[in-house]
Amino acid sequence: MRFFTFHLMPFNKLPEDFEEKYETAWTTVPNSLYDPVYGHELYNRFLDELIYAEEIGFDGVCVNEHHQSAYGHMPSPNLMGSILARQTKRVKIAVIGNALPFYDPPTRVAEEFAMIDVISGGRLIAGMVVGGGPEYYSFSMNPTYARSKYQEALDLIVRAWTEPGPFEHYGEHWKLRHVNPWPTPFQKPHPPIWIPGAGSKETIELVAERRYSYMGIPYFHKSFFKKNFDMFRKACQKNGYKAHEEQTGWLVPIYVAETDEQAWAEYEKHLFFFIKKLLKGLVVFPPGYSSPKSIARIGIALKQFLGNVTTREEIEEGGYAMVGSPETVREKMKDYVQDFGVGNVLGLFQIGTLPADLTKKNMTLFAEQVLPYLRKELGEPATDEELSQALAAN
Amino acid sequence: MNSVTESKFIDVRGKRTQITIGGEGPALIYLHSAGGEVEWTRFHEMLAQYFTVYLPAHPGFGDSRGLEDIHSITDYAWHYVDLLDVLELETVPVVGFSLGGWTAMELAILRPERISKMLLVNSAGIRISDAPMGELFSDDIEKLKSLLFYDPNSPVIEEAMPLSYEDNRILMWLKAREATARVGWNPYLHNPRLPDHLFRIPCPVRILWGNDDHLLPVETGKFLVDALPNATLEIFEKTGHMLPYEQAERFVEEVRKFLIN
Repeated sequence: MRFFTFHLMPFNKLPEDFEEKYETAWTTVPNSLYDPVYGHELYNRFLDELIYAEEIGFDGVCVNEHHQSAYGHMPSPNLMGSILARQTKRVKIAVIGNALPFYDPPTRVAEEFAMIDVISGGRLIAGMVVGGGPEYYSFSMNPTYARSKYQEALDLIVRAWTEPGPFEHYGEHWKLRHVNPWPTPFQKPHPPIWIPGAGSKETIELVAERRYSYMGIPYFHKSFFKKNFDMFRKACQKNGYKAHEEQTGWLVPIYVAETDEQAWAEYEKHLFFFIKKLLKGLVVFPPGYSSPKSIARIGIALKQFLGNVTTREEIEEGGYAMVGSPETVREKMKDYVQDFGVGNVLGLFQIGTLPADLTKKNMTLFAEQVLPYLRKELGEPATDEELSQALAAN
Repeated sequence: MNSVTESKFIDVRGKRTQITIGGEGPALIYLHSAGGEVEWTRFHEMLAQYFTVYLPAHPGFGDSRGLEDIHSITDYAWHYVDLLDVLELETVPVVGFSLGGWTAMELAILRPERISKMLLVNSAGIRISDAPMGELFSDDIEKLKSLLFYDPNSPVIEEAMPLSYEDNRILMWLKAREATARVGWNPYLHNPRLPDHLFRIPCPVRILWGNDDHLLPVETGKFLVDALPNATLEIFEKTGHMLPYEQAERFVEEVRKFLIN
């Protein structure tokens, strides 16, 4: 069992009546709403929160990539990853991930990830993502090529990391005469690869086949998570091996306070800022981004999406967020982790407008009173060697 | 009255292509819109009273295969060059609605001698810089209704598109969106080179446009009537993008008048 602190780095100063006045927090949300002076404070505060995660005993920190959005204003997670590589000493740095189709040529990802891995002395977890739905609108990138570009880029990056250069690459989307990135990664054969997914069958099968790790994207009802993790384990079985539990991860908002009542009193409005404002207008699947069958399946699941949730009761019932006293949160999380069969918890400890002091208190209470209990009940983390052996030996 | 219709698959240069043929009279090719109206609808039936209507599904739409070999609207146009050969249609009139209108223009540029007359309905393919197009790739059904129809509460909407993920037409609709995105995501629903080639289309062209089309503004029709060598324009008041659904009788009458003298 491993524990990560995940940060979306939201831009959380929006007008009170944002949801009435604006259609979306994505793609076309006017950037006149952005305030760089406040942004300066935010970026530095959010980085401090990730650095603090190392001090209090988390196994790793996570950053991710979004463009033209208040939901997460971290268009380059590699910049954040490289800062963290210098400012932390022990934790894994999970950049989940780089949206491969947007890096042209994709060997840029091979280079930048290798830089972070070398600077950090081999602490990078390389997240490779197709890119969120809204990004295809933001960059006018044709989503019907999302999968084929992604696959070609992923293969090229792994090849660039494992096969001595220079070599030629003549693919459908990129024709490169001299592939020869400097530097190469610190970890051999390459950093662990994590792939987040919202439940596309295509992604689940790809991750299972390559023996990478699958991270469930949050905000869906718990039953949808469960189905996806089951589907992943089945896909691993089909590929002739048993999934290692640390091949899967569950990304979830967490808030711990002294009592259940206090937790909700402190958290609720910040969570609803996130739900009502920052999730507004999220287009999960542009046309052609996944097969029509996957889109139809997830389209139905979207009915039970956090963005449509309006009450605390629904949040508790659906497991959209883990909120309460240390006792409540650890019992809940133990059940969920066992039910899902996951080996990584990626906690969102800051969400929406949750301020610095409450975020820090939340993280501290979790690290002191929840994490040690879950580790004791659910098992120590596998070492890197154990994990790679388990996956190779099957 | 029901016309005799036949749905079948034909092989077009290796692409398995769904085609429905119905009616009696002179041949007419109907090239469908992004909405993917590849099933026989009310206005196809009305057209079939006067014409033998050929209704093919573009690759990627309906049960037509071959989207993996389509990378631009020109590939669709070449597909129709091949389809005319397979159907042994030497010269034929074409009715093209929206995406189908764009395809018809590209086809007429490649093979002007094969197209006798062309009727364009709220056609895609052209971008007018001061008349911005709407967002077809929204996944918000309510927004799409107001984008596409003059009356967002019109009962004809039910005919034209699924209204929820539970509708059994949803898979076909998602396929239609994927295929449209393949050729129309970027550049968005147009070919920046098309205006320079419109002079190559010598045949008579009748252009119909809904005055309240929020997807492809009526200014596009006004541009086309000037840019095409031999075109006339009819603007339908109180009509949106989905003109053949919204004004089926008038649409069919326009086709009949234009094609049968």
